[in-house]
Amino acid sequence: MEKLKIGGLKQSLELCQFELRGVHSSEEIALKVSKLLLSQKINMEFLTHSTQRNNYHQLTFCVSQDKFSPVLEILKKEHSLPIGWEISSRGNVGIITIFPHQSALKILGIVMVSWTSQSIPIYGIATSLSAISFITDYQLIDKAIQVVQDLFHLPEDHSPLKPEIRYVQSDIVKGD
Amino acid sequence: METIAVYWESRIKTYGFQRITDLSLIELSYAISDTKSLGELFSQDDLKTLKPKFILAQVTNHEISFIFCLPLEESKSLCRVLEETSHPISYRYTHPVSIVFFHGPHFGDRYGIADATFSSLSKAGIKVLASGCSLASVFLVLAAHDIDKAEEILAETFEVAK
Repeated sequence: MEKLKIGGLKQSLELCQFELRGVHSSEEIALKVSKLLLSQKINMEFLTHSTQRNNYHQLTFCVSQDKFSPVLEILKKEHSLPIGWEISSRGNVGIITIFPHQSALKILGIVMVSWTSQSIPIYGIATSLSAISFITDYQLIDKAIQVVQDLFHLPEDHSPLKPEIRYVQSDIVKGD
Repeated sequence: METIAVYWESRIKTYGFQRITDLSLIELSYAISDTKSLGELFSQDDLKTLKPKFILAQVTNHEISFIFCLPLEESKSLCRVLEETSHPISYRYTHPVSIVFFHGPHFGDRYGIADATFSSLSKAGIKVLASGCSLASVFLVLAAHDIDKAEEILAETFEVAK
């Protein structure tokens, strides 16, 4: 069978993931957490929130792995979150982003089947206009990329898979 | 490897807002141990023409929960497949919803974007049904009647780069 064409593939640096679940209003929790992270000048590299069918709300986000302890600390601080909210965390994850030309749903399904068959977990998914991003274990990221490269046809000249630059936002401005 | 990027903006810049209206929202949960069979369902040829405008999935201990935003006609095809599979999958269906999405310079590398988004919408009393921020994009799923107000609020909060 002919391989589906994709426009490119990239991976993130090492991240950690937090999942917050509770019955409070989901947008309020997204607001609360984004404010807490802003106060610590921490960037969220991935975020999803939704209301699940059991009326539980869930917020999932990823930050740089080196921010794992500070983020856990501020989330666990008393009164940081509404009473009854569960926090779960997962260190050492990475994001693989696929840029499909078309058939995004089919590509999603193929990745789910293939990764599951090879015991590569999926911890979260989000799409943007031209991409599908999957969270998985960072230690399995090379294997996960190899599976994707075997499944799909990539352009010859696609850009590097691994990030070459890490941007860190500074609050010090010359002449400020 | 590490590059320090400096931004100083009185209002965060964005490349502009785009909207997609008259969408259906389909929400479903599935046993995480059966992710493979759900993947087989999504990859079947009956669904290959569907072009979801937004997808997100979140994982709990036992389940993987999906959200799909699709044009009305395409949503009917997905519902039909979910209902007609050998073990029908229950789902929650909402119509109409809208999406507003935007991206900006180095959104993926900077803090404060989510706070600016959620704070401004919350102050205006706009409920976000679901959201996803990946790469440099922010996607917000809203009730159809909130889209005009949301875009107006976001346009006041962010500066559209000229």
